[in-house]
Amino acid sequence: MMSMQDALLAAGAALLHAGGLLAVAPLLKTVIKKMKARLQNRQGPPLLQGYYDLAKLLRKEPLRSEVASWVYVAGPRVYFAAAVAATTLVPVVFAAAPLEAAGGILLLVGTLALGRFALATAALDTGSPFGGMGASRDMTIAALAEPALMLGLFASALAAGSMNLGVLVRTLVQEGVTLHPADILAFAGLFMIVIAETGRIPVDNPATHLELTMIHEAMVLEYAGPDLALVEWASAVKELLYLTLLVDLFMPVGIATSAAPQAVLVAIVAWVGKVFVLAVAVTVVESTNAKLRLFRVPELVSISLGLAFLALAIRFL
Amino acid sequence: MTANVLILSAAGMLVSAYLMVGQKALFTTIRLYGLQSLLLAIVATTMAVSESRPELFVTAALTVAFKTILIPWFLMRTVDRIGIHREIEPFLNVPVSLLVCLGLTVVGYRVSTGFEEGAQQVTHHLIGVALSLLLIGLFLMVTRKKAITQILALLTVENAVFLVAVGVTTGMPLIVEFGIAFDVILAVLVLGILVQRIVGRFESMDVSRLSNLKG
Amino acid sequence: MVDTLNVDGLVAVGVPLALAIRLTSVVVTLMLARHARACRWVALGASTAASMMTAGVAVRVIESGRAIEGTLFRQAASETVLGYSVTPLSAWFLMVLGLIAVPVALYSAGYFAHAVARPRTAAVGAAVNAMLGGIEVVFVADGVIAFLCGWEVMTLGTAALVATEHQSRQSRRAAYLFLAMSHVGTGCLMAGFMILASAAGSLSFPAILSGHVVSGPVRHGVFALFFIGFGVKAGLIPFHVWLPEAHPAAPSSVSAFMSAVLITAGIYGLFRVCAFGLGTPDVNWALVFMSVGTLSAILGVLYALTQTDIKRLLAYSTIENSGIISLGLGTAMMALADGRSTLATVAATASLMHVLNHAIFKGLLFLGAGSVGMATGTRHIEQFGGLLRPMPWTGLCFLVGALAISGLPLLNGFPSEWLTFQALLLGFSSTPGMIRLTFPLAAALLALTSALAAACFVRAFGISFLALPRSRAASEAHESPVFMLVPLGFLATLCVVLGLFPGGVLRALEGITASLPGLQPPAAMVWDGLGMSSTLTSFDHVVPAMFGLAVLSGLIVSTALTARRGVAVRQAPTWGCGGELTPRSEYTATAFSKPLLMIFGAVYRPTRQVDALAEVSPYFVDEVRYRTEIEPTFERYFYGPLVRGVMQMARGMKVLQAGSLHAYLAYVLVLAVILLMWLGGTT
Repeated sequence: MMSMQDALLAAGAALLHAGGLLAVAPLLKTVIKKMKARLQNRQGPPLLQGYYDLAKLLRKEPLRSEVASWVYVAGPRVYFAAAVAATTLVPVVFAAAPLEAAGGILLLVGTLALGRFALATAALDTGSPFGGMGASRDMTIAALAEPALMLGLFASALAAGSMNLGVLVRTLVQEGVTLHPADILAFAGLFMIVIAETGRIPVDNPATHLELTMIHEAMVLEYAGPDLALVEWASAVKELLYLTLLVDLFMPVGIATSAAPQAVLVAIVAWVGKVFVLAVAVTVVESTNAKLRLFRVPELVSISLGLAFLALAIRFL
Repeated sequence: MTANVLILSAAGMLVSAYLMVGQKALFTTIRLYGLQSLLLAIVATTMAVSESRPELFVTAALTVAFKTILIPWFLMRTVDRIGIHREIEPFLNVPVSLLVCLGLTVVGYRVSTGFEEGAQQVTHHLIGVALSLLLIGLFLMVTRKKAITQILALLTVENAVFLVAVGVTTGMPLIVEFGIAFDVILAVLVLGILVQRIVGRFESMDVSRLSNLKG
Repeated sequence: MVDTLNVDGLVAVGVPLALAIRLTSVVVTLMLARHARACRWVALGASTAASMMTAGVAVRVIESGRAIEGTLFRQAASETVLGYSVTPLSAWFLMVLGLIAVPVALYSAGYFAHAVARPRTAAVGAAVNAMLGGIEVVFVADGVIAFLCGWEVMTLGTAALVATEHQSRQSRRAAYLFLAMSHVGTGCLMAGFMILASAAGSLSFPAILSGHVVSGPVRHGVFALFFIGFGVKAGLIPFHVWLPEAHPAAPSSVSAFMSAVLITAGIYGLFRVCAFGLGTPDVNWALVFMSVGTLSAILGVLYALTQTDIKRLLAYSTIENSGIISLGLGTAMMALADGRSTLATVAATASLMHVLNHAIFKGLLFLGAGSVGMATGTRHIEQFGGLLRPMPWTGLCFLVGALAISGLPLLNGFPSEWLTFQALLLGFSSTPGMIRLTFPLAAALLALTSALAAACFVRAFGISFLALPRSRAASEAHESPVFMLVPLGFLATLCVVLGLFPGGVLRALEGITASLPGLQPPAAMVWDGLGMSSTLTSFDHVVPAMFGLAVLSGLIVSTALTARRGVAVRQAPTWGCGGELTPRSEYTATAFSKPLLMIFGAVYRPTRQVDALAEVSPYFVDEVRYRTEIEPTFERYFYGPLVRGVMQMARGMKVLQAGSLHAYLAYVLVLAVILLMWLGGTT
């Protein structure tokens, strides 16, 4: 058993870690929006718009459906809690995650699934057909994406010999990152899955509210005010989490292995830079593709699954 | 002396079987079965005395009680209830049946020479009679139409098995004997009730009419 | 001193005493046939007492690690002795049985009063005890005869229970199908046992299942026989067709027994005989287990997704979980075939853990379904809706069960799935050759299965309990009485506790896996007191309790962020697209699973029929009827031809059955004469 001191230390570190990611997450969403706008020859929102939106929503009057029960209220909160708790498993600046002792890749995937379950169930609580439709489609896509996600994460984890993210990062940093062709395949596969899980074009359009085209948005259509703020924030955190995961698995260069201030500074700059590069990649993908029909998404996901499987096969056979 | 008694009793059993084949009156057939069982009891008693196997006294007593007295009484009561006292025309007429029975007796005796116990004269006869009795019983079942006669034929077969067990082998374990006895009694009871039902339903004991039920 | 002696003494006679209690209660229940209430109390009370006794014995065996043996039945004259032996493996399964039997019995006390017709209560009560007694004998039997006797009693008891509603044609058909398939399975088991017994020269399990009795092609044949025999009972594909018919037909608490415990009888057999009783497993056997397991898991959940009858949905979900357990066992066998005992132990532990967890959450879900069925009078999800308001506690417990069965963290589905994944994924790295590709493939399919299961149970819970009631029956529902809620609460609490603190279960399983041949428990699978470690690498562990705290903090933060003092929550009607929001505008269960139905169309092969009905003119449509059906693949392509072939053979043989008694007797006579002349002529 951990000593009281260690436990408190870990708790404090976890709070800081999660808090930091919470603070940065809305910025990521706005940056992507702005880049997309620029590519479309528009100005786009100011960089702090994400924070303004959240503040506005939090200040609003809580509004709930009279048909709904406590599940509807619990949904966004569990979704938010799951996203926040998941952040404590992923190393960001330091080569260790605050709660890495609590679990690794499997727990991370499971937690995000828990959040999704809560949100989808709550979507069915309002009695509106949009909620049901969004829940149905989202669970379908998530179900299809899960094997590819699992295999992709696993292919990279196996190279380092552990499914614990902290250990993985430390091993990669120690041995130096070499880019094996398998890594590239795994990265491509995982990138596609990240697009699917974060609900971006070509899988889902985060800016639409048309019945035919929305998936995630349909699930959260009936939320307003503070509840909606929680959902939006949690989605942003999830997105940041996925991108950070990609960075950790494939390019953890520059991550701080000690508590020295220069190392930390370098690590922060490196992380921001890498996440920015990935955000640019996401923007480019979003801007140059059209949204796929719902029943074409399985094809995309199966390509990703094939890539992950190939990565595994190439590396180990 | 013992040998003579045994051979005579066995021969008597065979004769009673032949007489059963030739009979048409149901009451007489039942009485013949009773006689057969009595002879079987005599065989058992003789074996008990000569080979000092006291458990065979019990067997003999049981045979007398059940097969000579109880079962014939029950069957006669059943026949009374039904009111049919005669066998109807069998599939094969009597002379032909008797010829077939002769043939079956030959087969029985022939087979009994194949056993090493058949070397001795007494056991040779006992096995021969038993096998013939068995085959004749089966034959009776095949050619007779009345259910009561078929029950009697089954009982004859059982007597044959008993004869071999008592006369030739060292006897069956008591629990097996009890089991068989219980079996037979139960079978007779059930068959008796069944026969009454059949007659009540179909107004006939003719078993060949059961093929009306064929699907 | 006196206390320990007493306990030991009780433990020594525990099993025969429990069986005696059950037997007596069967007799007494049947005698009390007229007094339904007395029947219920006698039957269920005896069942509870007997289950607790066997569970107590089981716990003792697990604690001490030593088997308890004794005799069940002795008949001196024929020298028949039926012995029993509670090995650690048996003890595990007995404990699972006891753990489920007690809450289900309490639930049944109330449920049978409503769901079973009064004249049938006696028969149902007696049959329950017979079934449970049979299962207990199966787990503890030490020889072939005791095992088969228990197996048959179990099958017959279950068949009687399935046929409870025998006025319904569907129930009769379900009971008949169950009996037919069970007996095919039992036939295979008998054949397998006879082969082993004749080779070993004995009928006792230690002799037969020592692993070196047969070899070569005979060994493979025996494996196949046992696989079929136990596979039928465990509900593995393609032997599963009886499950979706039989489980819904029985009363709900009995279905809970069936899914939780009857399945484990088959799994126990697979463990005891196929995996650990025939010597070191062959690689092909392991592949068979893994593929059948994966196939069952995927197909089970896919079919579950499309069911609108809640009990059928749960039955298919049982097939899915049975597949997951087989997958774990198959992985263990693969590892054993390669000689890697640590990996095998991890996989076997995962499999056994899932047996326990499945029993708990499946029992919970079936009891919940029973409550809902009792409250609304129907089993169709499409007629539920909005049940969370009148039945808050049942709904909460059902939600916990749904979360658990989806393998989500913090509940008990997660640890066993985590261990299975660990075994599959980390086992990959140490297996040589091409065969290692089966591991990640299985892992990917397992991930797909659990995600689909989550979708399935979002649907089941959401459509049943949330939003507006979809029918009059649903709007008039009310909560179950307290003593039907207590078992639900108990099982739900167990789900949470075992999910947060899997350490205790792991400790118990360490002793059990140590008793199985070829397995060698790793240093310590309980990590740091609260967590689990697979010990396959030094850094893979999970501590659900710690993570639970993290999630809790997240919840606190979210509540803090959104708490607004002095501002009341405003309730408003849901937007109904301009019209009034009625139950008809809600999403239906069929609609929810439609995307998956279309994506996996190759598996389902749905047919669809749309009729537009109009009275006045085809341009003014009154009603549109939509009907979609999934093709029953196994029934049509596998069992259909099989049954037709058998009937064809039977028709052909009908010629022999002339219907004439005399003809049959003539056959016998002729045969007797021929045999005598042929055999009798020679010495």
